[in-house]
Amino acid sequence: MKLNRFVLPLAGFLVIAVVLGTSLTQNPQKGLTVTSALLGKPAPQFALPSVTDPSKTVASADFKGRWYLVNIWGTWCAECRIEHPVLLDIKREGRVPIVGLNYKDPDQELSRAWLAELGDPFTATAADPEGRAAIDWGVYGAPETFLVNPDGIVVHKRVGALTAEQWQREFLPLVDGKAKS
Amino acid sequence: MSARRAAIAARALLVLLAACAAPAFAIDPAPPFADPVLEQRYDRITHELRCLQCTGENIADTSAMFAQDLRRQVREMISTGRSDGEIRDYMVDRYGEVILLRPKWSARTALLWLLPALLLVGGVVVGRRIVKQRGELLASDDEPVPPR
Repeated sequence: MKLNRFVLPLAGFLVIAVVLGTSLTQNPQKGLTVTSALLGKPAPQFALPSVTDPSKTVASADFKGRWYLVNIWGTWCAECRIEHPVLLDIKREGRVPIVGLNYKDPDQELSRAWLAELGDPFTATAADPEGRAAIDWGVYGAPETFLVNPDGIVVHKRVGALTAEQWQREFLPLVDGKAKS
Repeated sequence: MSARRAAIAARALLVLLAACAAPAFAIDPAPPFADPVLEQRYDRITHELRCLQCTGENIADTSAMFAQDLRRQVREMISTGRSDGEIRDYMVDRYGEVILLRPKWSARTALLWLLPALLLVGGVVVGRRIVKQRGELLASDDEPVPPR
């Protein structure tokens, strides 16, 4: 009886302390920023008009058999402006082509002006003014960046402005085969 | 309280209540389904999908862009005769379990579902034990409680 009076509350305290303690070391945003229902699954297919040349179609099938990034952006998205120089650096690096998915920009004229002003890091940009392709990609904001491997499988994802550090530490090792997704 | 004061108080209360009433905003501008059964399904499904762009809100109660798009998707899927389960699966396939405000019963969510019942049972057990112990203390107590 006496044992119970001390051991039981102590055990309860320890359980709570361990649970809360381990939770403290985890990034609460991690569940939303890195995981995706798509990870390890085939990249959703899309074929949409090109932003830069509306007479052309940008299709995910065009990039089959190679590594590529899919970047969700919009002119209304402030974070995308912050992220833009990083995308330009990735283009300059020339390792992985970036496919832009222009998310919910009603006026493609604005999107083109944006690319003309800040530079165009995209090998091709697909226009998704109604956000339908974005639903297939599980997108709930912009920017979001997905890495697709030559087998067409989504291997990594980042929500929010991509940083040079994330690119170097998380994305490139996957492309180099030095890290597993 | 005089009749006059009571009347004033009643009026003041009325004004106060009117001020408390939240104005109704049209969050979902889309016209309702002609079929009330479909409208009811639409209403239920949109109330059970999480707006990932928001914090702790369903997609029925917010005008966030993400919620608008998902509402349109739900509406279209209902119109084309897809079942509730198919719509939920469609969302989970794309956004993961997190999209469901009412998590599915599974090994991973078992603790989540059972925890309230477990805590309730635990509380009752501890409470009964305390009551019983106090009762025994009183029974064994032949000294009157000294006044404080």
